[in-house]
Amino acid sequence: MSLLWQVVVNGILLGGLYALMALGLALVWGVLNIVNLAHGALIMLGAYVCYYLFTGLSIDPFVALPLTMLALFAFGYLLQRYLLNLVIRAPMFNTLLITFGIDVVLTYLAQIAFSADFRTINPTYAGDNFALFGATVPVVRLLAFAVALALTIILWLFLARTRLGRAIRATAQNLIAARLYGVEPRRVYALTFGLGAALAGAAGGLYGVVSQVNPYIGTSLTAKSFAIAIIGGLESPLGVIAGGLFLGIVESLTALYIGPTYADVASFGILVLVLIVRPTGLLRRTT
Amino acid sequence: MAAAPWIASPSLIQFGISTLLLATLAQSWNIIGGYAGYASFGNSVFYGLGSYGTAIAMVQWHLPFGVGLALGAVLAVAFAVVLGLPVLRLRGHYFAICTLALAEVMIAIVSNVDIAGRNTGLVLPLLRGDALFYEMAFGLLVLTTLAVLWIARSRFGYGLMSIRENEEAAAVLGVDTTLYKVLAFALSGFFAALAGGIHAYWITFLDPVSAFDIGLNVKMIIMAVFGGPGSILGPVVGAFLLSGISEVLSTEISNLAGLFFGVVIVIAVVFMPRGLADLGRRFKQFGWHYFAENVRVHRL
Amino acid sequence: MPSLLNVRGLTKRFAGLVALSDVSFELERGEILGLIGPNGAGKTTLINMISGTLSATDGDVTFDGCDLKRLPAYRRARLGIGRTFQIMRPFPGLSVLDNVAVGALFGTGGGDHNLPRARRVASEKLEFVGLAHRANQRAEALGGPDRKRLELAKALAMNPRMLLLDEVMAGLNLVEIEAVIAMIKKVRDQGISILVIEHVMKAIRSLSDRLLVLHHGEKIAEGAPEQVLRDPQVVEAYLGRRRA
Repeated sequence: MSLLWQVVVNGILLGGLYALMALGLALVWGVLNIVNLAHGALIMLGAYVCYYLFTGLSIDPFVALPLTMLALFAFGYLLQRYLLNLVIRAPMFNTLLITFGIDVVLTYLAQIAFSADFRTINPTYAGDNFALFGATVPVVRLLAFAVALALTIILWLFLARTRLGRAIRATAQNLIAARLYGVEPRRVYALTFGLGAALAGAAGGLYGVVSQVNPYIGTSLTAKSFAIAIIGGLESPLGVIAGGLFLGIVESLTALYIGPTYADVASFGILVLVLIVRPTGLLRRTT
Repeated sequence: MAAAPWIASPSLIQFGISTLLLATLAQSWNIIGGYAGYASFGNSVFYGLGSYGTAIAMVQWHLPFGVGLALGAVLAVAFAVVLGLPVLRLRGHYFAICTLALAEVMIAIVSNVDIAGRNTGLVLPLLRGDALFYEMAFGLLVLTTLAVLWIARSRFGYGLMSIRENEEAAAVLGVDTTLYKVLAFALSGFFAALAGGIHAYWITFLDPVSAFDIGLNVKMIIMAVFGGPGSILGPVVGAFLLSGISEVLSTEISNLAGLFFGVVIVIAVVFMPRGLADLGRRFKQFGWHYFAENVRVHRL
Repeated sequence: MPSLLNVRGLTKRFAGLVALSDVSFELERGEILGLIGPNGAGKTTLINMISGTLSATDGDVTFDGCDLKRLPAYRRARLGIGRTFQIMRPFPGLSVLDNVAVGALFGTGGGDHNLPRARRVASEKLEFVGLAHRANQRAEALGGPDRKRLELAKALAMNPRMLLLDEVMAGLNLVEIEAVIAMIKKVRDQGISILVIEHVMKAIRSLSDRLLVLHHGEKIAEGAPEQVLRDPQVVEAYLGRRRA
């Protein structure tokens, strides 16, 4: 029983991080209708930024997180404003392709700049654990989970309560009407994408602490983010949390009871099933 | 071009075989992605099924190559029909993502199947003579292109294109959209599987990750889209052009080749989203304005 | 002769919203039935349910003795039901001629399997609607009124027995409206029964043999045009309660 509990705890902690990973993707998808295949690459970049802040300037990764987010926000803003905006009214497939191209470019640039070696961010407390009702919880994983959850809730509040957040939601629903209210789409789009990139960057920084990073992790992280975003639904950040937790627990359980190589099969298998049966996600839509 | 194996160097022939197979893949994608408008990110599955079908037939059951090929093709078509029915109901990116997820799942599943040699893979009997493989690959490309030619001028092709342009309108005009989509998917899978079978026999070694190589999806899509989706020769031209340039670059630095691909995609999507075929057709009319026009129409 | 289209108790419910409620009527062979009503009355919903684009929550639709329930849109099209869309749905990347050819290739009875012949039929239909000079242009290059003509040509190429027209005259000037009225009458003369949704009152009045009025998803009047347009309920529906 305690093994099961350990696995569930692992799954929840993993799930929180997964949710954060998927959040940026879901935001950009829901608001801009852009399916960003470079999302994983943005996570990867966030991890490297955090890594170099840590090894170069000795900044604790959790403290470096806001800086990482800022850097990725700026990058994302520029990317959207000056590149993605050029194709945004083209058929959806075009944005799929261009983000794919960007993914390839970022991956190869990262390989040239950082080499293909695996890296981990190892603050001094990296090896510390504490006990939670019999399960061993690494401190870094718990912190990562807490940060992920906090950011998700902050995003949710931002979208629901602030003026800018409402402008973003309005633009998502009706571009023409939003324009009539004085919303400038180009800026809102760029801001939203920047926000998505910042979230990806944060996820990357956290990922770098709990796991290993190299230039190639982008693709599978993108795929996983998709799975979560679709399973949880694109409606609200809370749905993404649910999706992330669900997938985290499923993967943990699968690794334990069926075998570690099957964890991915489980995630993607569920994704396929969800798409076929309920493309809007597992959560019921309340109109 | 068919005479090439007798006059070219061995490495050029090898390049030729690879490129011919890639061109076939791009052309096969053209059927479901270019004509029917359903961008499949999972054609690598058909390729892999073709590879494994051929390999299993030859290694485990000692059947001749031709039978193996046929088995691989049948496997792929069956897969296309059975999975196509539910998956083709999805639109746009959902379809793309679902096929991508399927591609990922297949790798993991095949890694655990005994008859396929699990993770270690299979070793096929050796057949010497690249020239023969070259001719086979060439023949397959010709066959696939002829199929596309037929599609473009047939009632079936018109039906596919109407689905691509506006599926709802197609339905009320009497097009059986489900049947046609599944047929396109199956046809696409058929040719991809044949390419996979030839490839497996040629390199004589097969393992799940390389047979179901996800990167292939991307390559074939980019080649088809760059060349001109929905055109007859576009994907072939795209495949040869991009392969050729990538080959030249990778003899310099292999990273550059990958980078080159990425940059080409980005530029192409912005300035010539309908591929070379459309560029060729309309450049006479528009000149350099063609590029600016594409941007103007699609920007925010 | 039994009527061509028989609609009985047709109802459509979306989550919490009743778009159409218990609508029944018949369309006789060779007749032009006008369907009118204020915006949101459910007219397009009704057509969507007959063509199969939308499924019915309740009720029956019978076409020439065939029960349409469970038949997908393409089967209904092959039975001879043609329609145009209010928000036009051309095939943008195809030429105007090819757009219409699709109708000829797939319409009633499964259409024509012979491509060259279908293209010839398409040419004829383009002549009929006055778009022949644009046959080789891309459909997306067409302006509003021409797109309406294209919609009509596509539906006609199907060789339908019944045509459902959804606001083919919106946005047209008086001259163009007269031309469309003449076209529709010619279509009827070829033996095709027509159900027309229209807002342009003058047009629908001169075109229709009978009128059907929908309001808030319900049928509130049916009969000869002059009679229906004088019905106080109909007047009230259009003008609001202030007029007696």
